[in-house]
Amino acid sequence: MEATLTRFVRALRMANVRVSTAETLDALRVVELVGWGDREQLKHALAAALAKSAYEVDAFETCFERFFRFDTFTADHSIDNATESDTTPASDDAQTGPENPPAVGDGAAGAGGAQANGTGGGAGSESGGPPPDREYDLHALDRSALAKSAVDFDAGSATSPLGRLLLADDQTAIAMAISQAAREHRLEDIKVFTQQGLYTRRIMDSMGRPALIDEMIALDASTDSADRQLGAALRSRHDRLRRQIRDHVEGQFLLHADARGERLRMQMLHNARLGNIPPNNDHLVRRMIERMARQLVAVHSRKRRVTRRGTLDVSRMIRRNMRHDAHMVELAWKSTYRDRPRVFVLCDVSGSVAYYARFMLMFLYSLGEVISEVRSFAFCSALAEVTDLFQRYDLDEASQRTLAAHGQGGTDYAAAFADFEQLALDDVDRRSTVLILGDARNNHGDPRTDLLRKIHDRCQRLIWLNPEPRAAWDSGDSEMGRYAAHCHQVSACGSLAQLERVVSDLLRRVG
Amino acid sequence: MSLPSIANPTDCTQSVETIGQALRSHGYIGSDRIATVVYLACHLRKPVLVEGPPGVGKTELARITARMLDLPLIRLQCYEGLDEAKALYEWKYGKQLLYIQMLKEKLDDVLGSASTLRESVERLHRHDDIFFSEDFLEPRPLLKALRETNGSVLLLDEIDKSDEAFESLLLEMLADYQITIPEIGTIKASGRPPVVFLTSNNTREISDALKRRCLHLYIPFPDARLEQQIIEAQVPEIGAELRRQLVDFVQALREMDLRKTPAISETIDWARTLVLLNISALDARWAADTLNVLLKFQDDIDRVEPQLSTLIRRVAGA
Repeated sequence: MEATLTRFVRALRMANVRVSTAETLDALRVVELVGWGDREQLKHALAAALAKSAYEVDAFETCFERFFRFDTFTADHSIDNATESDTTPASDDAQTGPENPPAVGDGAAGAGGAQANGTGGGAGSESGGPPPDREYDLHALDRSALAKSAVDFDAGSATSPLGRLLLADDQTAIAMAISQAAREHRLEDIKVFTQQGLYTRRIMDSMGRPALIDEMIALDASTDSADRQLGAALRSRHDRLRRQIRDHVEGQFLLHADARGERLRMQMLHNARLGNIPPNNDHLVRRMIERMARQLVAVHSRKRRVTRRGTLDVSRMIRRNMRHDAHMVELAWKSTYRDRPRVFVLCDVSGSVAYYARFMLMFLYSLGEVISEVRSFAFCSALAEVTDLFQRYDLDEASQRTLAAHGQGGTDYAAAFADFEQLALDDVDRRSTVLILGDARNNHGDPRTDLLRKIHDRCQRLIWLNPEPRAAWDSGDSEMGRYAAHCHQVSACGSLAQLERVVSDLLRRVG
Repeated sequence: MSLPSIANPTDCTQSVETIGQALRSHGYIGSDRIATVVYLACHLRKPVLVEGPPGVGKTELARITARMLDLPLIRLQCYEGLDEAKALYEWKYGKQLLYIQMLKEKLDDVLGSASTLRESVERLHRHDDIFFSEDFLEPRPLLKALRETNGSVLLLDEIDKSDEAFESLLLEMLADYQITIPEIGTIKASGRPPVVFLTSNNTREISDALKRRCLHLYIPFPDARLEQQIIEAQVPEIGAELRRQLVDFVQALREMDLRKTPAISETIDWARTLVLLNISALDARWAADTLNVLLKFQDDIDRVEPQLSTLIRRVAGA
């Protein structure tokens, strides 16, 4: 039971649910209390102990459905092997309480029990509930046919151990053997899709496939028709077993490797240059950016009361000490609140930075969802406010509209700054931060650094993020050097990792 | 498990089902998950962090649980700047001063014969910290909850509004059911520890340390079936057909992009309004007139009004 739970926790961690050791212990106590009997109740109870936010509850539920699966196994088992199962010396996995052993087995036993009557690939993925009737019927037919033929062969007629196991047709024993073999081969470490065949084979081999094959060949070559029939029966069961194992492997792959693979990809994307990320990774990048924004905000959203040391708040102190007969017993200190930064973001969306602009807009959008005080502007030559657009539409729509409305023409920073001065400079005060995203390539026009200086003087911090690496600055028509002189901070910001660092820094310092 | 479990084996906390029934009989209709979590909270002695949009019955859950277990409800409303003097304990300064005044003569007796300052101080020491004993301690909600010998239900409402420092303050209380007062020592729960509910509207993230010590319960908006049951329990006067229409209407509103989505409490208010106005079937005119019960922003009302007749038609036809 503990092993099952630990493996479930491991699967949860893969799915980005943070579970501490203390919470695992809680989960154990929870399971002791509610038992394995009622699947829904178990789910609710484990969710309460393990998933600690609405976001994690979603991830938990998907994971739970994949891990603890209900299968035909139950129905099957209760009809045919009820008596056997109660007496079967169960392995640690199957010890799920005597009253209802495999109903909620662990992933291994459950998935192993997924009868492989041609359900093939899809079965392993999403289906949590009982399978549709059709499959069940097929399966029942299959079984009854087999049962008829099995009358002729009792388990002892096969010589190899696996053959005997298959002829005995004890699904519990087979499922247990599969999950045991899977554990021996550390199936939960499966990493990539293409390893599925390999693992299937290894598991079959360690279950005693070679001996079975030898036996089948020998039987096929035999002149006795009874032997040949036995061989055919063994072959069909062998095939069924392979499908069954394949199913199990796939289920485990989805549970463990898929999440891990995604993490690996995310890690790579995190450090890759934004311009090099192929467009088909958009959804992944988007999820990363959303998560990044969420984390940043979670870290920085707590208002901190910073005690200003040494400054007494006299009036508050007198009031507080009235109850001591106006003897100054308790001291009251002045304190300040750090408040949320007001951020103005100017984003260059011209052709030269089009690649980056997409990501910048994405990030802007995610940030805007969590911080209300972000005003966004987009420019190419003319600058316009897009805050409203971002609030009203979803990301794709908003980005498209922004690019369509403002993305044409050559970059003209001078015109953009002039527009900004008119539009919003009055709202910039000493608490605001202005963020400019752009490559500073001004097409050899007048850079108008005086306008940038004006913004610089009004705001608390002016930060310029340039997607080009530092080496490319000031080459060609880039005016970065001249602009840099009028900024509080200039950073190269070519990858998500850099972007995250800059924004984290921004949120920490402002206030 | 040195402390006794809260549950008394004969009462309603025996199983998840009995808790669900008990909650229902007290007028709280909730999902199985809610019953399961209450069951766990009663048996594991772990606090429950309840999250969810406003108006889905987070506070009500604590109130009903208290009624169900027949325990006193001790409530602490959290706000910015809440500190230990208001949450844990405070010294009764007035009483201390008064006693000092009244006991002045007694003090003279005690100290009268002392010749030196040192001797006086030593004599005073013999009398312990009389003025910092439990007699002068003013218990605030958290301490009060610990001192209830029969157990209690402690509700920390809107924990997200409090400061981070206050959260840290809670850790000792929530993990071990004890409070440390420097002058006296550690005070442990005197009988059964309280059942603790913390509610949060998610205006900020609760720290991981606190989350780790709690069971987590997320209450979303209910589905149509559950909401109908809730309305049935809360506003029994309403007719079945109107109830269905009303719930469908509110469910349709929740699909729309509104500033403040109507919650269960608003549905209940609306149901009461309609009953009061003696309306038997939903029509566009009455809906328009009473929309302000459901929607609390003029923007939202303006957005819904043009689509009102379509919505009503869809609901009536369904």
